[in-house]
Amino acid sequence: MGSLFRSEEMTLCQLFLQSEASYACVSELGELGLVQFRDLNPDVNAFQRKFVNEVRRCDEMERKLRFLQKEIEKDEIPVLDTGENPDAPQPREMIDMEATFEKLENELREVNNNAEALKKNFLELTELKHILRKTQVFFDEREGGVDEVMSKNLLPPEIGAGGQLGFVAGVIARERLPAFERMLWRACRGNVFLRTAEIETPLEDPSTGDEVHKCVFIIFFQGEQLKSRVKKICEGFRATLYPCPETPAERREMALGVMTRIEDLNTVLGQTTDHRHRVLVAAAKNIRNWFTKVRKIKAIYHTLNLFNLDVTQKCLIAEAWIPVADMETIHLALRRGTERSGSSVPPILNRMDTKEEPPTYNRTNKFTGAFQNLVDAYGVAAYREVNPAPYTIITFPFLFAVMFGDCGHGLIMALFGAWMVIKEKPLQAQKSKNEIWTMFFGGRYIILLMGLFSIYTGLIYNDVFSKSFNIFGSSFKVNYGDEMILTHKQLQLNPTTRDYYGTPYPFGIDPVWQVSSNKISYLNSYKMKSSIIFGVCQMLFGVILSTWNHRFFNKPLNIWAEFIPQVIFLTFLFGYLVILVFVKWIAYDASTAGCAPRVEFQSKFYGGTGHPFVPFSFDAILDQSYTED
Amino acid sequence: MAPTIPMEEYKFNIDNGYLEGLVRGFKNGILSRNDYLNLVQCETLEDLKLHLQSTDYGNFLANEPGPLVVSTIDDKLREKLVVEFQHIRHHAVEPLSTFLDFITYGYMIDNIILLITGTLHQRPIGELISKCHPLGSFEQMEAIHVASNPAELYNAVLVDTPLAPFFVDCVTEQDLDELNVEVIRNTLYKAYLEAFYTFCEKLGGSNAEIMCEILAFEADRRAFIITINSFGTELTKDDRAKLYPRCGRLYPDGLSMLARADDYEQVRAVAEYYAMYAPLFEGAGNNPGEKTLEDKFFEYEVNLNKNAFMQQFHFGVFYSYLRLKEQECRNVVWIAECVAQRHRAKIDNYIPIF
Repeated sequence: MGSLFRSEEMTLCQLFLQSEASYACVSELGELGLVQFRDLNPDVNAFQRKFVNEVRRCDEMERKLRFLQKEIEKDEIPVLDTGENPDAPQPREMIDMEATFEKLENELREVNNNAEALKKNFLELTELKHILRKTQVFFDEREGGVDEVMSKNLLPPEIGAGGQLGFVAGVIARERLPAFERMLWRACRGNVFLRTAEIETPLEDPSTGDEVHKCVFIIFFQGEQLKSRVKKICEGFRATLYPCPETPAERREMALGVMTRIEDLNTVLGQTTDHRHRVLVAAAKNIRNWFTKVRKIKAIYHTLNLFNLDVTQKCLIAEAWIPVADMETIHLALRRGTERSGSSVPPILNRMDTKEEPPTYNRTNKFTGAFQNLVDAYGVAAYREVNPAPYTIITFPFLFAVMFGDCGHGLIMALFGAWMVIKEKPLQAQKSKNEIWTMFFGGRYIILLMGLFSIYTGLIYNDVFSKSFNIFGSSFKVNYGDEMILTHKQLQLNPTTRDYYGTPYPFGIDPVWQVSSNKISYLNSYKMKSSIIFGVCQMLFGVILSTWNHRFFNKPLNIWAEFIPQVIFLTFLFGYLVILVFVKWIAYDASTAGCAPRVEFQSKFYGGTGHPFVPFSFDAILDQSYTED
Repeated sequence: MAPTIPMEEYKFNIDNGYLEGLVRGFKNGILSRNDYLNLVQCETLEDLKLHLQSTDYGNFLANEPGPLVVSTIDDKLREKLVVEFQHIRHHAVEPLSTFLDFITYGYMIDNIILLITGTLHQRPIGELISKCHPLGSFEQMEAIHVASNPAELYNAVLVDTPLAPFFVDCVTEQDLDELNVEVIRNTLYKAYLEAFYTFCEKLGGSNAEIMCEILAFEADRRAFIITINSFGTELTKDDRAKLYPRCGRLYPDGLSMLARADDYEQVRAVAEYYAMYAPLFEGAGNNPGEKTLEDKFFEYEVNLNKNAFMQQFHFGVFYSYLRLKEQECRNVVWIAECVAQRHRAKIDNYIPIF
């Protein structure tokens, strides 16, 4: 029988690999993807296994690659995905790769540090520039209207007349400003004067790259004690203080100096970012390949950790489940691996006898794989049991369509499925991480089939976006006069009279049902009966499938004790129901419909033609009057 | 009329169901005895990292460059816990949000004391801030070094924080010095513990049942530790008595007896009166092979916290999870230190949780 009918025959094999050849052989087997290894060291800790150092080195390489990738993403450089699948490199190449990554990482870290220092400098100069600009206003106020300023705040006037006010100027993050103001007020008992002005453009924080909004502030105070306290508070709130000259002339000079320094710094910063960009672009070309290679190496060493090391240290022993049909391919792969590693001793593949139950393997392609997954979600079939998947390919979408039954929506569904199937390759290359999308895309063939079958059942139910087609002309005719139609809201069309042409609508449900008020009760009866027929047929089919299992596993008792009673129960109860449904459909037409028997299930168990005993009882009467209340 | 149905339990899941489920999931990831047995077999810190990868911690150390040191492990363990706690706090509504805030006040007190002590020793504020516990950070934290005596500390810094009501007892004009700082810490903590206890009592139901027991033990433990640590210092007996939290089982008789105690034996005699504390003092000592009193207290606390998970629909699970996770961090750091220094004699002195 075909391979999808039953799961594959599997065998447990013992693999003897020479130590030098083991890496290359496992690499070849990894590319092939047909072998399931068993862990021969289950009670050994993760860090006590043989190849733990190599796994650690791979972890370290992966860390460096992740760092590089984060930097590449930060700069928004597009990463090229050529779809290449490089083989796992030889162990000696690993050292070269480690050296390359180390060099790249160090270079990048150095560039980042330099850039950060430059940006810090730039930030300071920018803040100073803003301070010089904004504090002009404050100083004007102070010098011009000393009295107004003094009377506006709570400083007693004698202090203003007494000495000169000292001041500090600085920049603080906007969100800290209210707490800062409050703290200043409390700590200095209201003896300082704070003016603030916002900086409109957000400034870039050098270490994180985030944009922060800041404010310029200037604090006037008198006396050394207040000065030290103010400075401590500023330090506590991470406000940066800048030396601000008192006279306007000095301020203008400083501003000019700051502008030139900012320009110089901009050029240097530009060059640093360019250099960093160049390094990252060069790395971005290869990073996908590197990731793949490192992951393959790590996987190989993880697998090698599962093997048993022979006492004489000459070879590694592995146990694996392999499909019998693929023995030749695996032999070839092992031979290729041995040749690649340059070893002389060929690997040995022995079949082992075992009483363990082998794993269930169903060979699928991209079309059947989705349905196999669907079946496996309910439960993986036992080893060499009949596989329900090939029948599911048709029955699952068909039963879905029986429930869906809308031609128009089915068309949309089929088009969506068809688009996903046609554009399979580019959509798959996108490697989207969105869970919902991967779910839909993984089931694209299922969706396509569901859509196609839904179109078919939609035509049968004559339901297109909840409207009906009238292709062939209805079999019902309206014989009422116009005044009847205009005055009565509901009129009856009787199939026994001239209202019905005598021949049914050729394909599907008659479109007249769409406008009838008893459409639901008619369609319900029809759909329910057809669903029961489909269901019973499918169950019978499933029970018959089990006979193949019983014959294959050579259990005749199961056939007599399980299969025969199941069939008897199913057919005599539900099969009889189905036969009754067909008989009622065929034997009775419109004229005899009045005396058609009911298709009942319960009448098989009891007749139900009696009438109840209703005694004269005060309890019953009183209960009744309570419920009426 | 139906028999008394406790109403809180029916309505608990509306606001707090998701968070309780989350915390129970986190609790299942706490390291088991098996994990600890594997960890003590590690030869280097890299082995430790490799084993932790297979636990709930996953790849938390994956991006750390260079050779691993114990302080990095400690920081990263704490970071994971902080992230989990803050996620829960951000999703919480009243009264759970107040409850979680109460938990953070304890860390705030520790941070304040750390900053004051550091300032006394002239350490730069930046270094001190990095040592503070992230769960106890508040806006005015960095400006603490402005104050030179407790009154200033209160008026300038703490009055805007949630710790203001706890500070009422210790506003004095004395300068901050070594002894005073410890007195301040214990006074703050006493007020905080009593306030937390009152809050839990008001919540009622299984909240009160479980949290009050845990907090009562915490209060009694502090009373014992303060007494034992005060022998041989300048702290007078009256001052010491003022530091005892009054929400434990020792109040009032045990506390008055402790206030009069002069040495360790008398403290032990006080503990004999209380059935649950007597076994903690038996067999406790500083000789090798014996557990210290602190370890016994930790063990008892771990037991109480494990019992909190036996009931549902109460806030105690959040508190207990935090404490158990902290104990786990302490355990892992202890083992890491023993491994790093290759001094394996006392490596088994961790306190197993599950």
